[in-house]
Amino acid sequence: MESASIAVGQGAAADHHDHHGPPEFHRSARIDQTVLGILLFILSEIMLFAAFFAAYFFLRVVVSPDTWPPAGIELPVLIAGINTVVLVSSSFTIHYALEAIKHNNHPGLKLGLGLTWLLGATFLFIQINEYIHIGFTPRDGAFGSIFFSLTGLHGAHVFVGLLLLTFANIRAWRGHFGPEQKNHLGVEVPGIYWHFVDIMWIVVFVTIYII
Amino acid sequence: MAVALRQPGWYRGALGALLGAAFGFGLVVALRAISGLDIFQTEQTGYPHVVVPLITTPFGFLFGFGAFDYWFRWAAGKPTIPDDHANHGATRWQDYFKFNTDHKVIGIQYVVTTLIFFLIGGALALLIRAELAQPGTQVVDPNVYNGLFSTHAVVMIFLFIIPMFAGLANYVLPLMIGAPDMAFPRLNALSFWMLPIAGIIFLSSFLAPGGAFDAGWTGYAPLSTGAPLGQSFFNIGVQFAGASSIATALNFLVTIITMRAPGMNLWRMPLLVWANLATSLLVVGATPFVAGAQFMVLFDRVLGMNFFQFLEGGDVLSYQHIFWFYSHPAVYIMILPGFGIVSEIISTHARKPVFGYRLMALALIGIVVLSYSVWAHHMFVAGMFDWLRVPIMITTLLIAVPTGIKIFSWLGTLFYGKIHTYSTAMLFSLGFIVTFTVGGISGVMLGMVPLDIHVSDTYFIVAHIHFVLFGGSVFTIFAGIYHWFPKMTGRMYDEKLGRVHFWGTMVGTWGTFIPQHWIGLDGMPRRVADYANIYGDWNLVISVFAFILGFVQLVFFYNMIVSWRFGPKAGNNPWRANSIEWQVSSPPPVFNFDEIPRVVGGPYEFGTPGARHAIMGGEDEPELPGPKPTKVAEPA
Amino acid sequence: MERLPYLKLALASIALGTIVSILMMQYDWMGDAASTAAGPIDTLMDVSIIISSFVFAIVCVALGYALVKWRVKPGDEGDGLPIHGNTKLEIVWTLIPTVIVLFLAGYSWVVLNDIEKEDPNALTVNVYSQQFAWTFGYPENGNKWSEGVLHVPVDRQIDFRMNAQDVIHSFWVPEWRIKKDNVPGITTDALITPDKVGTYQLICTELCGAGHATMRAQVVVQTQEEFDRWVKGLESEVPEDLLLTADQAIELERQIQEAEQGIDGSGVDETSAENVDQS
Ligand code: HEA
Ligand code: HEA
Ligand code: CUA
Ligand SMILES: [Cu+2]
Repeated sequence: MESASIAVGQGAAADHHDHHGPPEFHRSARIDQTVLGILLFILSEIMLFAAFFAAYFFLRVVVSPDTWPPAGIELPVLIAGINTVVLVSSSFTIHYALEAIKHNNHPGLKLGLGLTWLLGATFLFIQINEYIHIGFTPRDGAFGSIFFSLTGLHGAHVFVGLLLLTFANIRAWRGHFGPEQKNHLGVEVPGIYWHFVDIMWIVVFVTIYII
Repeated sequence: MAVALRQPGWYRGALGALLGAAFGFGLVVALRAISGLDIFQTEQTGYPHVVVPLITTPFGFLFGFGAFDYWFRWAAGKPTIPDDHANHGATRWQDYFKFNTDHKVIGIQYVVTTLIFFLIGGALALLIRAELAQPGTQVVDPNVYNGLFSTHAVVMIFLFIIPMFAGLANYVLPLMIGAPDMAFPRLNALSFWMLPIAGIIFLSSFLAPGGAFDAGWTGYAPLSTGAPLGQSFFNIGVQFAGASSIATALNFLVTIITMRAPGMNLWRMPLLVWANLATSLLVVGATPFVAGAQFMVLFDRVLGMNFFQFLEGGDVLSYQHIFWFYSHPAVYIMILPGFGIVSEIISTHARKPVFGYRLMALALIGIVVLSYSVWAHHMFVAGMFDWLRVPIMITTLLIAVPTGIKIFSWLGTLFYGKIHTYSTAMLFSLGFIVTFTVGGISGVMLGMVPLDIHVSDTYFIVAHIHFVLFGGSVFTIFAGIYHWFPKMTGRMYDEKLGRVHFWGTMVGTWGTFIPQHWIGLDGMPRRVADYANIYGDWNLVISVFAFILGFVQLVFFYNMIVSWRFGPKAGNNPWRANSIEWQVSSPPPVFNFDEIPRVVGGPYEFGTPGARHAIMGGEDEPELPGPKPTKVAEPA
Repeated sequence: MERLPYLKLALASIALGTIVSILMMQYDWMGDAASTAAGPIDTLMDVSIIISSFVFAIVCVALGYALVKWRVKPGDEGDGLPIHGNTKLEIVWTLIPTVIVLFLAGYSWVVLNDIEKEDPNALTVNVYSQQFAWTFGYPENGNKWSEGVLHVPVDRQIDFRMNAQDVIHSFWVPEWRIKKDNVPGITTDALITPDKVGTYQLICTELCGAGHATMRAQVVVQTQEEFDRWVKGLESEVPEDLLLTADQAIELERQIQEAEQGIDGSGVDETSAENVDQS
């Protein structure tokens, strides 16, 4: 609730007649609503990825156990590995940004957010480049389909994460955010999402490129 | 006009839809140009020039309609317009056609919209029955027939049952837990508005070349990947309906976890709240799977991918595994909120606490856990791994145990009560117990592999579906609507018409769906426009009862509409119930309470003199036995 | 609180359950039986109908009794007894259904093993389904084919091996009680021992398109001698395109591609700018 409601003291029940806004709801849990919301959202995101992983393992284990990946397909493990490093390091920068604002360090916040954004954009750029040069298309067999779907699904999440980070950056440069939790949710929540995107990439990377 | 186009609303929404369509179309053209493809050539089933705008147009509309205005301002770091509550409450009927963020308005929007979809889905069912009244072709050819039952099922499931429960809970759940609104009111409104969008997409597939989607509500690949354009409408409509229900579930969970009134610990929550907690856990966890399955089909269709193209190394059966991993939990998504409703009503009208309250709550959680482990009982004859059948059979049959606990506990609630049967809500609850038991028992038979091998994909399944969905979900929906009608409208409905509706529905349901068991066992397959002559007589009986059933529903609609305008005033608490929503005015004030109530006991303390569930704000504090509610620490 | 008339309630449930079961047993629900699987399956069905009748009777008796006994007298505004539960009762109605369903599961498992017992002497028949027709091949006889009519000998186990060419179909002969989907890309199978000579219908039970309702075939169960005579009379072999298993189809596809592209067939799109650059 943005409207600054007057903190209702223990004895202030008298003025409930001229109350016009919503009454302050009772907090029955300590966790912040937005944080809980994003965690649940991430749960459903994980299940969406799980659906595609299920498809992946059906195709790989049940249908083509011997020819996976199909002959002639060489995945650019090295480039993807570098990309992994890029994305994982952005988890540290966003964490730094959050720590900074908790200590009311605005320059640190801007630095952290900016770096995270750049790292994320680099990741997307490299991935699109990889798509162009990879030598097969989504139409090439089931492998092509699941490869592009899983990495593409993840790429779409990076894109959404970048969008959220863009907002956070704009607001940081406008001087928003402060050390109290309710004042830096705009950093914390995209941050949680960003960590999820990172961890999910590690799972995707290990599944598709390594094992 | 120019002003109207800048204000959120229908004009700007229409403009947004146009822009969205243009954007989608342009995107396809641009992408095709870049990748060197023919700009306009349309693949046989792909039609990207239709499919992509089908996704972008609704978003354009939502932008224009004002769904994202607040978030845009927030994102851009501009001062957000503080909630001036102009969008709260409804004083005129026009207020129901706005992007309204009041949970009570949204609740009514949901209920009315989904009832309209019920009429549409029912009309489709009556067309089905008209065709099946006699062997041979009556009204439609086989192709159209396949479209009929597919849309019938999809409308009923995705546009009626699931969102209807979301709507009822939207209205009463915040009141029940003593919260002024849902946790995310804007997200709540967005969830609602995705629903008519999904409906329009589903139904407009009738206009697509090749007809409506016709691969059944299950849309099995590869029938669906090779189907005409209409199938893409299904794939995309499911995304909107699914996103809507995920968003609502998330909202319920956060609301229930963080916004309960002081003193309302888990074991003082009404069972309806428990039921929605359980349902929401299922929605958040399982619905992404149906989204995934439909994305894959869409990719195969539009992008030429090969998830289910067996010639290219795809796996046909993986569709079914992924689909049922959602759609089995989905059937519990369609019944658990009903269990909650029935618990409220039976306890209130038997004037007794719910028998075995804790076990009732635990049974709900047990069903949630078990229902993630039984998806493959829809695939016993599908040619999947043989070894999976017996473990799945055991988990499937075990679900009868927590469900049985619920049935027996409701019966236990009736014993030693003072049972009032004047209310139609109570009649439907009692009718539900008997009818659902029959549907559940046929489910147990289906769970037994050797029996399922024989009856799978026959009318026995159709009978099971309708006994659990009509005799289960729809009965509880009717019960819920009658029960909370006075709260929502402030007026009473006509109990006499209600009784006509109940008995007519009871007779109609049993008459329509019991004979389907028999012809199914005897060898009549489902999803057929034509059948052997020997089933002609029973099918005629079924059709006659179906039309009676359909006709009786018109009584219900008449009763609701007329009573809403002209019914006698209901008062705050016509059923003398204890839970919080009945302690406020009917309809409740904007923001529900001036002051959050304090919960001091269980929700069903009938028969204990002086026992209270909640003390409303402004009331003098009575001396109460028992421990004082502990105050939860405010966050720093 | 007066004691419940447990005995009367139990007797009433038993009586009602017995009546319902007897009524339900009067009718032969699944029609004629013509395979060895039908016996165990029909017995299982009967057992589950009887158990279900009693479960249903208990619910009805309890509901009916409560309604008669505790329906409120007009004008009585009081409340019922504040009973919150009864642990013993709750344990009972958790345990008894558990025992019942575990029994049903175990029994089903036994029946399942019984009807799927393999016989080394089985006759293999290939089933090919496509929109909207059935074709049968007899591998022991050079995979000669029969279109739309299935002949099998009586009293010998048949090992049906099923392949679908386009979408999923399902093989069902109601009198045999056995059903199995035909799935494109894999071969599914079903073991059936017909034990009654006669003519039956094979029904497609998986939605497969506009012709689904009429996708049927005739099934003729005859003596071994008659069958042998009939099978000898078959002339042509199953056509090439029906024979393809998934592996073969992929191989074929690959060969066609190779022929078109002239290289290794890795699936690389020859026309894309990428490859032109490299070559
Ligand atoms: C609201 C929806 C709903 C509900 C609640 C259920 C509940 C159950 N369903 Fe049903 N089902 C559907 C909706 C639902 N189903 C639909 C839509 C389909 C078809 C999909 C399609 O193919 O289109 C389907 C199909 C379906 C199949 C697949 C059949 C096939 O295609 O071959 C199976 C198989 O196991 C099954 C089993 C069960 C079981 C065991 C339950 C159990 O949960 C039932 C438990 C309840 C009871 C048992 C009654 C009360 C209990 C007691 C009184 C205790 C004592 C009882 C005993 C000891 C037996 N269902
Ligand atoms: C969710 C719930 C739901 C509900 C409530 C219903 C309700 C009904 N259903 Fe449906 N049905 C399904 C879910 C449901 N169904 C599903 C999941 C399938 C499987 C589909 C598949 O195989 O893919 C199915 C399939 C199905 C079939 C099998 C088709 C086939 O396999 O070939 C049949 C056939 O009789 C049928 C009949 C009916 C009837 C008669 C009703 C009646 O209860 C309807 C009662 C009638 C009304 C409510 C109408 C009121 C309206 C009017 C009187 C007209 C006025 C009209 C206007 C003003 C527009 N249904
Ligand atoms: Cu083939 Cu239905
Ligand atoms: Cu199921």
